[in-house]
Amino acid sequence: MSLCRTRLQEERKQWRKDHPFGFYAKPVKAADGSLDLTQWTAGIPGRSNTLWQGATYPVTIYFPEEYPSKPPRVKFPAGFYHPNIYPSGTVCLSILNESQDWRPAITLKQIVIGIQELLDSPNPNSPAQEPAWKAYSKDKAAYEKKVREQAKKYANAM
Amino acid sequence: MVGAGGIGCELLKNLVLSHVGEIHIVDLDSITLSNLNRQFLFRQKDIDKSKSLTVAEAVEAFNYLNVKLVPHHGNIMDSDLFPVSWWSEFSYVFNALDNLEARRYVNQICLYLKKPLMESGTTGYDGQVQPIYPYVSECFDCQPKATPKSFPVCTIRSTPSQPVHCITWAKEFLFAQIFDETSTNDQSEADRANQRRKLESETEDKAEIENMLRENDEFNELRNIVKSKTSTKDSNFFEVLVNKIFSTDIERLLRIDSLWKSRRKPTPLRIESYTKALKELSAERSAKDIVVDETRVWSVLENLFVLQAASSALHERLASSESFISFDKDDDDTLNFVVASANIRAFIFGIELKSKFDIKQIAGNIIPAIATTNAIIAGFSCLAYLNYFNQITSSDSFHKAFSSSSTIFTSIRPNKYITSAALIEPSKKCPSCSHARGILRFSPEDLNNMTLEGLIQLIRDHYGFDDDISVILGKSKLIYDYDLEDNLQKKLTEINGFKAGETLLIQDESDALENLELYIDTNTSGKTLFPTLKLKEKQMDNDGENKDEDMPEQGEVISLDDDEVVELDEPVETRKRGKESLDGSSKKAKL
Repeated sequence: MSLCRTRLQEERKQWRKDHPFGFYAKPVKAADGSLDLTQWTAGIPGRSNTLWQGATYPVTIYFPEEYPSKPPRVKFPAGFYHPNIYPSGTVCLSILNESQDWRPAITLKQIVIGIQELLDSPNPNSPAQEPAWKAYSKDKAAYEKKVREQAKKYANAM
Repeated sequence: MVGAGGIGCELLKNLVLSHVGEIHIVDLDSITLSNLNRQFLFRQKDIDKSKSLTVAEAVEAFNYLNVKLVPHHGNIMDSDLFPVSWWSEFSYVFNALDNLEARRYVNQICLYLKKPLMESGTTGYDGQVQPIYPYVSECFDCQPKATPKSFPVCTIRSTPSQPVHCITWAKEFLFAQIFDETSTNDQSEADRANQRRKLESETEDKAEIENMLRENDEFNELRNIVKSKTSTKDSNFFEVLVNKIFSTDIERLLRIDSLWKSRRKPTPLRIESYTKALKELSAERSAKDIVVDETRVWSVLENLFVLQAASSALHERLASSESFISFDKDDDDTLNFVVASANIRAFIFGIELKSKFDIKQIAGNIIPAIATTNAIIAGFSCLAYLNYFNQITSSDSFHKAFSSSSTIFTSIRPNKYITSAALIEPSKKCPSCSHARGILRFSPEDLNNMTLEGLIQLIRDHYGFDDDISVILGKSKLIYDYDLEDNLQKKLTEINGFKAGETLLIQDESDALENLELYIDTNTSGKTLFPTLKLKEKQMDNDGENKDEDMPEQGEVISLDDDEVVELDEPVETRKRGKESLDGSSKKAKL
């Protein structure tokens, strides 16, 4: 409905005016040259001085028709290695959860910064996948190795 | 009159007996058995017939005043069936609908055409009528409506704490994945190979790949059993099912210790301990005896028994004729399957079990409907409408009607059976009526030949946009803005979806002028006509109140705490206003 459309165009405008360094976010382009405002692709850079640095991780953001009453869904590629990300790639994060901390006032910029923060600060109490969660809580060395390998995969072009 | 159901039947009777000249009735539904207790114009012989056609015929029996009745069987939101030219014919519109989407749509149309609209709705004893005079009183969208709650996937899949979580799991996840067509699990081999390649490029650990793929493959074995045409007698479907969902999967969850630090642990179900009792029960009774007992909460054993029977019935249906089965509250096999599996899961997690009757309400999103409430609301709807027509002699009828009409509520609360509240002016923040809108009538020639660039130039000149604009077609399709010039040289007809019946949302990139919404229509005789509108300056709240709410300043701290504390409301609540307006400000109904 209207609120969803006007808000998404506003998000696009605000993002163009000002967005955090190293991030990108844009609506998906359809074959006919138009943009679908309800589906965005975004890139989240790993913070420097963390295991995640040197790479930009791709996510897809899906906005429901009831947005901004309801939060968007954010997905990494399936199989993304992180304790709080489901095998399907869906991010488990309180600000993206309608019955937890989602508020209509939360902007796209805050969402992507929140996810960047989550990368290096996993929440061990909310496991979403077995491999990364297990390694994170029981075998830090193996966990770090995997995360570094993943960072190589999504490494920024030099 | 849009909707010929609970309120519609009552309302049509009233309107016909009130000597309205001509009434068009629109409904897309057919009559079902469960309608008959309150939709009194329908009889058992009418089941499966069109509601609109049947209702028009039924009132002929008492059409003493020769009201002209024109039924339409179709979706009111279909702009080919119901173009603006059709809408323009009417002097008044009644909503007697049961869903938000159609209500919103009719509200929008009435805003475009400035038609008076009577909005009505009931939930149990609560009922409401709200006259809407476009741009003079609040429209349907001025007050935000609560949307049904959805649950986070973590709660449904791993940590249910309420019956509704288990029911959602049984219906949306378990049932859908095994029996329904629209399952995400139903991937082709190619898809799966693709996914594997993708994973293999990321990690070399074989075991881990298997682990990651497991979630996607979870129900494949079960699906394969139900898909294979082997006789259901020989199949071990029930055993495999029960072992997987009530034992293996629960054990897997238990291995994630941190989930259970502050929660009660689930107890996997040992089917072996029920096998003997299950045999004895099946020798003694038929599952049919249990499933008709809808208001009693069944024991775990009975639930298992019902699950066994329902699984086998569904399996049989897939093996013989149907290629997939969708959940339907009125399809008893599907309902029994969901009831039994939800209850057993509830037992495992130490959650209260529910009766089939209760689960049917929740799984089927059933709102109780009371014939008396419908009748009262339809009565008010008709009376308020007559009141409006007694006054439209003056040219400024909306303003006059505004001060002499009320929103009326019914409820079961003592001393609040019937209350009313004066109409309120439109909300300045309303997503629908706070901005300009009108109908853009293209000549056939322009619609076929004009480029998007040409149209944008005309819009800018016509409405005085100084800065750049953005153009959104329909629900969410951005076709032009500052950063998107791909479509400028295209003809309008080359843009997918650009046709009569669609809408364009024009926004001023510099926020100087208000938003403009244009409904695309054709003007077969003559030139392209832009609606005459004077765009106001965009409302920017000086106090910054709006800003705080919609787009907060940066730097706000957001907690990343991911605890899964979940609070839930009742699953269905479409009416919100009633409760708010029932308080002190109420006064006697003005009629």
